[in-house]
Amino acid sequence: MQQVVQEVIVCKKTDLNPGEMMESTFGKHSIVVARASDGEYYAFLNRCIHQGAALSKGKICGAPEPTDNLGEYDFKREGDILRCPWHGREFDIKNEGCMLANSKFKLKNFKVKVEDENVIVYK
Amino acid sequence: MVKTTTKDQKNTKQQSKLHLIDTDIHERAQYKDLLPYLDQPYRRYITDCHWLQEKHMPYTQPAVAGVDRADARVPDGRPAGSDLSFMKEQLLDPVGHEVGILTGALDPSPSSMHGWYEMATALASAYNDWQIENWLDKDERLYGSVHIAAQDPQAAVREIERVGSHPKMVQVLLPIDDKLWGDPFYHPIFEAAERHDLMIGMHHNEPPIHYGQWPRYFIEWHTLIPTAHMMQVTNMVFNGVFEKFPKLKLMMIEGGFTYVPFLMRKMDQQYKDLRHEVPWIKRMPSDIIREHVCFTTQPLEEMTKKEFLQIIEQMGSDEMVSFSTDYPHWDYDSPYESLPPNLGEDLTRKLFSENARNFYPKLQRIGREK
Ligand code: FES
Repeated sequence: MQQVVQEVIVCKKTDLNPGEMMESTFGKHSIVVARASDGEYYAFLNRCIHQGAALSKGKICGAPEPTDNLGEYDFKREGDILRCPWHGREFDIKNEGCMLANSKFKLKNFKVKVEDENVIVYK
Repeated sequence: MVKTTTKDQKNTKQQSKLHLIDTDIHERAQYKDLLPYLDQPYRRYITDCHWLQEKHMPYTQPAVAGVDRADARVPDGRPAGSDLSFMKEQLLDPVGHEVGILTGALDPSPSSMHGWYEMATALASAYNDWQIENWLDKDERLYGSVHIAAQDPQAAVREIERVGSHPKMVQVLLPIDDKLWGDPFYHPIFEAAERHDLMIGMHHNEPPIHYGQWPRYFIEWHTLIPTAHMMQVTNMVFNGVFEKFPKLKLMMIEGGFTYVPFLMRKMDQQYKDLRHEVPWIKRMPSDIIREHVCFTTQPLEEMTKKEFLQIIEQMGSDEMVSFSTDYPHWDYDSPYESLPPNLGEDLTRKLFSENARNFYPKLQRIGREK
């Protein structure tokens, strides 16, 4: 019988700089822990909702803001957007992993807290 | 630290039952790999004269790692698709491929080169020798495509005669660029292919899809690639290629298949009205397509089972579509996740292996017992 995991130290605070991510595990799940540009930590299932790619192999980057002006590229939010390694779909780390193209869809996310030097994912 | 595995990388019992014949895998040569296979003076054009083949596409491909899956770069830093052992580890072993058909990534194809046919012919020969020695001879699952400089049909025929009888060469590869290959000028190529039990594979290279030019954005270009495929199918059928070479079949690679019902219907309607222009066509174009043309699945649009089955039904046959991953490119389709679930055992088997096996004569002798 597998025990249900309640709380796991997934990394040290210093393992990640803002705008970086790493793989870790939470129970039987492979997860990706991401640190946003403001230093906050977030955790998602390491599995893209499209075709299942390991998100940790993708890229943390920014994204051009939606705009009303044709031809305008306003590239913002460097460090807050996770792009999938396969088809490049963009997910907003700071907004529950919502897909930028259609916010109806979002990554499966986990609760995260920081205690002392540890980043902890919990249920 | 856990090792990341996607569903594609797990080899569960259920998953290994796929017996996949993957109809589009891109192995990649860098020019330095081809040097040992190139005669002079062609070798020195690369080593001494800074030969770089012309490229036309005016875009960066705005995915995470250019045209490739970001996780497919070889761990030692070489580009995706350039190492057999990594391809085995990432694709062939875990997915459980029965067969992978290599479709190259010599960019652009020798057939797309401008006027220097001699260099194109030399590169095509070097590529074929490199492919046989480093891929086809090294892994029994891998089958190959004969690369030619098709703009010089005589030279192309010589190359088909040279390597076409190799038991693991299953097709002659023609790029979809700015030439329509059904033109009688290119028919010697089809005659030679037929002689060696080779089918024709067409894969887009850099087709200008916008009135002979390029739309402004990659997203427009990539959306409209199927229009370039439609041109080739229409051209091959109405130019009578399949009437003249009845054993020949055509695999349309990486254009998807959801456009096919429209094209078949449109061609039939046009034929009823305009048959007098092409009197060598003596049956409905849709019948010719059903008998002679097959389409690879990737890149699959997301569909429900109902939508998927409707398209198959409108094609009038469930034997014209073959699964392809397009590994290692950015728009790779997972054999586990890209199709709608529960398509049924019969259709799944056809998509994953049977249709491709029936299509390629050289595959028909393998895997029967499985
Ligand atoms: S698998 Fe992530 S975008 Fe397709």
